Amino acid sequence: MAIIEQEPSIAALPSGAARTAAKPLGAFSRPRNPVGLKNWLTTVDHKKIGIMYGTASLFFLLWGGIPALLLRLQLARPNQGLLSGAAYNQIFTMHGTVMIFLVVMPMGAAFANYLLPLQVGARDVAFPRINAFSFWVFLAGGIMLNTSWFLGGGANGGWFNYAPNNGITYNPGVGIDFWNVGLLIAGIGSLTGAVNLITTVLNMRAPGMSWMRMPIFTWMTLVTQFLLLFAIPVLTVAQLLLLFDRRFDGNFFNVDQGSDPLLWQHLFWIFGHPEVYLMILPAFGIVSEVIPVFARKPIFGYPFMVFSGIAIGFMGWGVWAHHMFVSGIGPLSVTAFAVATMFIAVPTGVKVLNWLATLWGGKLILNTAMLFSIGLVTQFTLGGLSGVSHAVASADTQQTDTYYIVAHFHYVLFGGALFGFYSGLYFWFPKAFGYKLNEKIGKWNFWSMVVGFNLTFGPMHILGLQGMPRRMQTYDASQGFNTWNMVATIGSFILGVATLSILYNALVSYRAWRRAGRPDVGPDPWDARSLEWSIQSPTPEHNFDVSPTVTDLDDFWHHKYQEDDNGVLRRIATGKEVAQPGNGEGVHLPAPSYWPLVLALSFPLIGYGLIFSLWLCIPGVVLLITALYGWSLEPADDLDDDHGHGDHHERELVGANG
Amino acid sequence: MISTDSDPTNPGEDGRTHHLDVYERRWMIASVALLVVFAASVAVAGFGLGFQVPGHESRVDPNTVADSPPWNNPGLRDLGNGEYEVYVIGRQYLFEPNEIRVPVGATVTFYVTSVDVQHGFKLQDTNINMQIVPGHISKLTRTFEKAGEFPYICNEYCGLGHASMAGSLIVEAQGG
Repeated sequence: MAIIEQEPSIAALPSGAARTAAKPLGAFSRPRNPVGLKNWLTTVDHKKIGIMYGTASLFFLLWGGIPALLLRLQLARPNQGLLSGAAYNQIFTMHGTVMIFLVVMPMGAAFANYLLPLQVGARDVAFPRINAFSFWVFLAGGIMLNTSWFLGGGANGGWFNYAPNNGITYNPGVGIDFWNVGLLIAGIGSLTGAVNLITTVLNMRAPGMSWMRMPIFTWMTLVTQFLLLFAIPVLTVAQLLLLFDRRFDGNFFNVDQGSDPLLWQHLFWIFGHPEVYLMILPAFGIVSEVIPVFARKPIFGYPFMVFSGIAIGFMGWGVWAHHMFVSGIGPLSVTAFAVATMFIAVPTGVKVLNWLATLWGGKLILNTAMLFSIGLVTQFTLGGLSGVSHAVASADTQQTDTYYIVAHFHYVLFGGALFGFYSGLYFWFPKAFGYKLNEKIGKWNFWSMVVGFNLTFGPMHILGLQGMPRRMQTYDASQGFNTWNMVATIGSFILGVATLSILYNALVSYRAWRRAGRPDVGPDPWDARSLEWSIQSPTPEHNFDVSPTVTDLDDFWHHKYQEDDNGVLRRIATGKEVAQPGNGEGVHLPAPSYWPLVLALSFPLIGYGLIFSLWLCIPGVVLLITALYGWSLEPADDLDDDHGHGDHHERELVGANG
Repeated sequence: MISTDSDPTNPGEDGRTHHLDVYERRWMIASVALLVVFAASVAVAGFGLGFQVPGHESRVDPNTVADSPPWNNPGLRDLGNGEYEVYVIGRQYLFEPNEIRVPVGATVTFYVTSVDVQHGFKLQDTNINMQIVPGHISKLTRTFEKAGEFPYICNEYCGLGHASMAGSLIVEAQGG
């Protein structure tokens, strides 16, 4: 860390010889703690950043889940007064916002960060410091958003915050401002993360890893990052317009001055629909990795899986107005978007059938990871079917703003994305931490989640078709919604406990592992297919001892199995035999840095300034500029460090990338 | 039955190219065919079967709309021949009027607008569901063949009193 990087004396460190005179003012040494809190705060290691993304996401899952249970309690019986209208509106808004932006998106980022460099055979992402920055700025935005609870109340306009209800006239509190600024800040992290991961895939694939040899998870993550790259700016534009409206008397969404509130709807959903796909595609990628491993077969129709993912990535941009079928956009627009929506169901349906075809005739190993993957396939399909019924515009006009929609998107986001993520957690846990999660608790985890999930969201289909509108604080006993609401509430508590049981599982499994003397789980505990299993568990800090050379799709698998002369597949080696030993002599890794964290901290300071007093922006901007200068003057490599390998390198000037 | 390159455990003879399994190829053709059928059915429903969506009638100034005819007197207009028009204003958190009475067989055209934020106008148990956007007039027509009471509710989230924003359309039996 250096405003001005101190020049190390030629014959100095790390041999221990004479260090030059006192450091000049403004020069600091870089962080070098190999363990501990400071290490986590300054790390640029994609694996640690991935773990931090995952931890933050699980924390926010709890944080966004408690409000969901409060909502269900309020709706358990008619005419309840547990939550006031004001509290109810804030809670459902923040529940949606937290779950989408701070749970599902970062969980996708967690898997992408941890696995993408491993699956393409790289030592880290393209820009390690930017990677750290992406995480910290996401966390800063997420925490800032949630401080609204203590500083005047949460946002209360729904996660979509339609204009003009989001304007200062109708919503004078600071809740919407926190929603606006917090998500603007978190969005910066999504953008930098997207650029980083795209560059990693484009430039850092191992020798021989051509496009059609990339694992499907890598493909789906790549598509996701492109969606992020183009979708987040649309939301940012809308939010900046709203910011100007609310803080600086702008008139972008001010109906009194002749503006059209439909502008917000269009902007929000042009962002919002690609958002839907960028939330589900990482989970599709995970399932496409898990199912072949435990069906003992390669994925059925690899190119079709890849191209359907890309197709979703493109077509996701042409369906946004199906959120607006009843807003008066006219029959021509409605039909065009209905057709487009039907179209996008096809690549998604293709994926489902390809998973089924992969399962077909396989020797299925029904462990927890596999069960969660099959859970995604079944429950996402249910959600997909209700989704297709939205594409039929004449049916959708009945469903708009009813609980049928709530049922639908929970089936695709919880039954889809979250089940996929849980599958991934069980699958890659030994790779990240060196021990497997307990299977018995895992199966309880899975089955209780399936039961709780379907009890909670299944009845909402019926409620919706009975006409129960969304976002209603309460309902009357005479409306006939009583029974199913009670069922849903009971289900939601089962679901809450079930969802959390993975944390209990991690604790129990860790203790058992420690009692057993921390046995080595081995590089390849599942007899899997992709490159991340060809290195030791937990992943060594430097990932690969030598860059792997790839000659096949599922290259690692073909090192373990080959056909004999009769065309019968035979095991020729175990994963342990062909895995890299993990000694990694002389590997240079990017050095940790304070600057990503410092830079990220400047954003919420500016954010609070925008909401409360512009004077507060001044220290924020000063911190921002300082951090940018410090960052850009800091060499990518720490010249004083021997990287723990004792191979003191003479002051080789490495290009300051990252 | 299965050709050599469709061995499920081997992605390709030399692993360098990805051979297409015969089942995979058939499946791809089938799914493209599905695509065509889906799209055609939606297009036919949309353009051929006269599907009616909430129409954007015209734009108004939400500041003054409630002061000028016909909106200064929201409610029912009898056009004769069993045809009616009804003008409804949505505002936080009520409908004007909040009760509409028409006889059985009436063909009613709804014109709805908002003077503040976005609202919804959903006539329960019918296919009428419109978003009401300030500055826009939404329009739909329906014939009521059966007597009964149809509540209309706001189903586009509009703020604190959203849950209580409702009205009622009563279709009265002939002579009733």
